[in-house]
Order: sequence, then structure tokens, then C-alpha cells
Amino acid sequence: MRLAPWLSTFEFGLVHALFALSTFAALWSGVLSLAAVSFGAVAGFGYVAMSGDGQMPLVLGLLVGAGLGGAIAFVCAMAFLRLSSHYLAMATIALVLITRVFVINLGDLTGGASGTSLTRQSEWWWLVIVVALVAYVFERLRSSRFGLAVECVREDPDVAASLGIDPRHIQRISFVLSGAIGGVGGVLFADLLRYIGPNTYYVDLAFVMLASVVLGGAYHWAGAIAGALIFTALPELLGEFLDRGQDIANGVILIVIMLYLPRGVIDPARRRRGVAAPPPGAGDRAEVAA
Amino acid sequence: MDLFLQQLFNGLALGATYGMFALGFGLVFATMGILNVAHGTFATWGALIALYAVAGMGLPFIPGLILGVVGAGLLGVLVDQIAFEPLRRRDAGLLGPIITSIGMWIILGALAQIATNSTARRFPIGTFPERLFEIGPLRLELVQIVNIAVALALAITLYLFMERSRFGSAIRAVGFDANSAAISGVNPRIVIYVTAFLASAVAAIAGILSGLATNNVSFTLGEGLLLKGFAAVVVGGFGDVRGAMVGGMIIGVSEVLGAQYISNSFRDAITFGLLLLFLVLRPRGIFSELQYSRA
Repeated sequence: MRLAPWLSTFEFGLVHALFALSTFAALWSGVLSLAAVSFGAVAGFGYVAMSGDGQMPLVLGLLVGAGLGGAIAFVCAMAFLRLSSHYLAMATIALVLITRVFVINLGDLTGGASGTSLTRQSEWWWLVIVVALVAYVFERLRSSRFGLAVECVREDPDVAASLGIDPRHIQRISFVLSGAIGGVGGVLFADLLRYIGPNTYYVDLAFVMLASVVLGGAYHWAGAIAGALIFTALPELLGEFLDRGQDIANGVILIVIMLYLPRGVIDPARRRRGVAAPPPGAGDRAEVAA
Repeated sequence: MDLFLQQLFNGLALGATYGMFALGFGLVFATMGILNVAHGTFATWGALIALYAVAGMGLPFIPGLILGVVGAGLLGVLVDQIAFEPLRRRDAGLLGPIITSIGMWIILGALAQIATNSTARRFPIGTFPERLFEIGPLRLELVQIVNIAVALALAITLYLFMERSRFGSAIRAVGFDANSAAISGVNPRIVIYVTAFLASAVAAIAGILSGLATNNVSFTLGEGLLLKGFAAVVVGGFGDVRGAMVGGMIIGVSEVLGAQYISNSFRDAITFGLLLLFLVLRPRGIFSELQYSRA
């Protein structure tokens, strides 16, 4: 077993973890969003376009990415958050679809259908630091008043409203947080791939990132990271035994996890109470009916 | 003007395929509350089975079509029983079925890629008579006319079935509340089997006809249909058969006319722009007042 390909897998896992954390940030407040990759696309292409011929320093790029992602997420939050959960999820899917069309057609800014090549600036420990930073932010938020409010909104928006928490406001903040993290992930993804193109950030990635969050556990930020690392490493791991069909194995694992471990690998409630809590999204239907 | 009419017709023919696909996709969402990402692969597999029957086994087109449609229908039931039935039993809401359907989408898509060796094929020449009708300045291909005719026939049949027949009311009842339906003597299990079969069989018809019309059957066939069908359902309104068909036609026509008169490269932007516009401004679609779904 050689080490070099594993380092690369680890790096991809970390960048995927950022997209997964972005998805988690929205899901934390009960918003099912697939838009993380769109935020990543806006940030990634913004980074490339602003770099021009040379390349801007990566730290600056990450800040720009976070800003762009957060800004676009804020605009989307204004338009989308009044929709009920099904339609909100669909609107974020539509956003991902539209982003690609714009990337292809704004060729001057984005490099069009053929994309743009980059030189890589980050090292693997850069990615570790960024993921650790984001995790630290989540950990601090989790034990803050904001974190309590977010979990309250997720469990029951009506109860939250009656306690003086504005669910829409909380969701807006978590959506912008999702945008900023997605933006950072987008810049690092482009950097890691050394390439950025219209299919870099598309529905496949969006769905896999959502799947990673649920696989890892949608009730704790660590779940998103664990899920992304597992989901990235598994195909490689299985590749040692299988010639083809890693994708199929991925799909099977996804279904098995959802059926038998619906709250994911990392589940704070299981540790705390040792009893089965309701699976994610069990409350959705009541909310939709209301 | 001639060009406009011709493109309008082309748009309607294209929209007919989208509408057909949207019929099944919308039916599953309206009655079972499942946003089935794997629905596109039913169209792919229906087309692949029909292609194998025609090109590999040498069957005529109609038996091949029937094999493809029935095969995809059974696949739909199988997917439902593996991926959705266990979640239904514990009432997992919206997120659970989306995740398992992503799993199924990955599996069935990868299998289709392996089965086709990642190459695009087509139905052999002569599978379907290539005729051209010229009505005044218009040139209508037989495949296009069949597309529209089949789509309308399917939509009308499905509409009457859902609204007028006893079994249709049973499907709507189970969609609204499976327990209450069971109390009043409906067997939810059979209703779910039939709905899953119908939805994926209709997707297969759309897939096969789209493969004929574009002379292209590949493992990605279903993905395009899924995205456009999704847009069609949102524009037309979930839970209404007419909405899916009208939405499909709107998407098809605006795509073709937009490509002709606005910008060819932005044709998808027009489709998905309509999708986003409807989601934000009128999320329940054109036929929203006639909802019987839980969504």
C-alpha cells in the first residue's frame, strides 16, 4: 500500500468535508439545502476571475471566497427561505442547475465549457488547518446561545417562535454561514484540482455531499467531517479489491446506512441517552402540512 | 412565421417527452411524498432493455417497447421495496427517501454505464418507420407526431384513471393518509406497488421515445429527462396530471423557441430560470388549486 495516493484521498476528503460542513450549516437549522456546491462555484470562479493572469495569494483567495459565498447565500436566503421544506430543497437544486449554465455561458469570466487550469498553492496541512478552524467555529457556536436557538428552530420552528426566536432570522444566518464555508470549500477545491470547469460543482457532487452529511450524522458537525472522509475514502479502499463498481458499493452503503443507522455514524443523542431518537427529518411532514 | 410554427411544433414534440416523464415523477411525489432522484434511471433502463430486445434479440419494435416498459416498471417496484418501504414504515419524512434514492441513482446509473460500456448507441435503422409529413410549410416527422399523440393519450388516460376510477381514488387516499385509507378498506401495499409500477413504466415510455427521437440511447439518457421533467413538474404543479403535461410542453416550447430567438447557448438557462421563477413566485405551479397531494 503506497502512501501518496492516500494523501491525495485525504486531501479530497478534507475539501469534501468543507462542502459537507456547508450543507450541515443549513441542515442544522432545518433547511435542506443542496446549494453548497453553488456557493463553492461562485467563490471558485470569483477567485479565478479576480486572479487574472497571475494568481492571488491563497489566503486572500479564501477570504474572497468566503465573502462571495456568504453574499450569494444571503441573496438566496432572501428569495428561498419563505418556501416550505420540499420547495426550498428543490429551489436549491434549481440553483445548482442554473449555476452550471451561467458558468458555461459567461466564458470571459469563467473559461466557459473548457474551464481554466490553475497552479496549486495549498499543502495538505493548509486543508487540515482550514477544516479545523471551521470545526472550531461550529464547536463554539454549538455551546452558545445561537447554537441553542438553532437547534430549537430545527426541532420545532413554532416553539422557537413562541420563545422569542425568529426562525427565519436564525435560518438566514445559518444559510449565510453555509455560503461562507461553501465558498472556502469552492476555492480550495479548485486549487486542489488545479482546474475549474462547469462540471466541477454540479448536482452529482451536491448529492454526494448531502449524502455524506447524513451518513456521518446530521446532528453534530463532526458527523459532516466523518461522513465526507468516509465517503471519499471508501471507493479507494474498495478499489484495492474491486476492479470496477466502487460507485455501486457507495450506493449500497448509502442505502444500508440510511436504513439501519438513520441518524448517522456520529450521533450525540445516542451517546447522551442511549436510546433511539427519531430519524432526521421525521418532523418535516408535520411542518409541510402546517 | 413558418419558422415559428415549425419550431413551435418541435417544441411541443420535445415537451411531450418531458411531460410524459414528468407524469410518473410527479405521481410519485404527489402520492408518496418522495422526491425520487433515481426516477431518471428508470427511463434509461427502459430504453436499454428495449434496445437490447430490438438490437440484441431481433424483436420488432412494439414487443421490445413492451419488454422495456414492463422491465422498468418492475425495476420501479423493486427500488421502492428496497429503498423506500422500510423508511415508509418508520415515517422518515423528506430527507430519508432522498438519500436512499440518491443511493439507487448511483447504483443504477453505474450499472447502466457498465452495461453500455459508456458508449452511446441507437435503435437500429428501420426499427421505427421514418416518415416525413409535409403540411403546408411544416415538416412533421412521424416520431414527433407519435411522441405528442402518445403523451396526450397517456396524460388523458392517467388523468381519468386518477380522478374517475375507484383505484385512482384509492391511490389519492393512500397519498393523503395511508392509515385512514387502510381503515376504509384500501390495501395500501397494493396501491403502492401499482403506483411505483405505473410511474416507472411511464418513465420508460418517455425514455424509449426520446431515444428514438434523438437517435441516441446512452447511460445518461435519464439524467436529462430527470432535470427537465423536474422543471416540468414544478412549473405545472405537483399532484396534477394535467400540470405535468402542460409544464412539460411549456418547458419544451420555451427551450426550442428560446434557442431559436434568444440564444442557443442559454437554452438551459431559460428552462431552469423558469423553474426557479416558478419556485419562488408560484411554488405550487399552474394547477395549484386542484391539489390532492400532501406536499
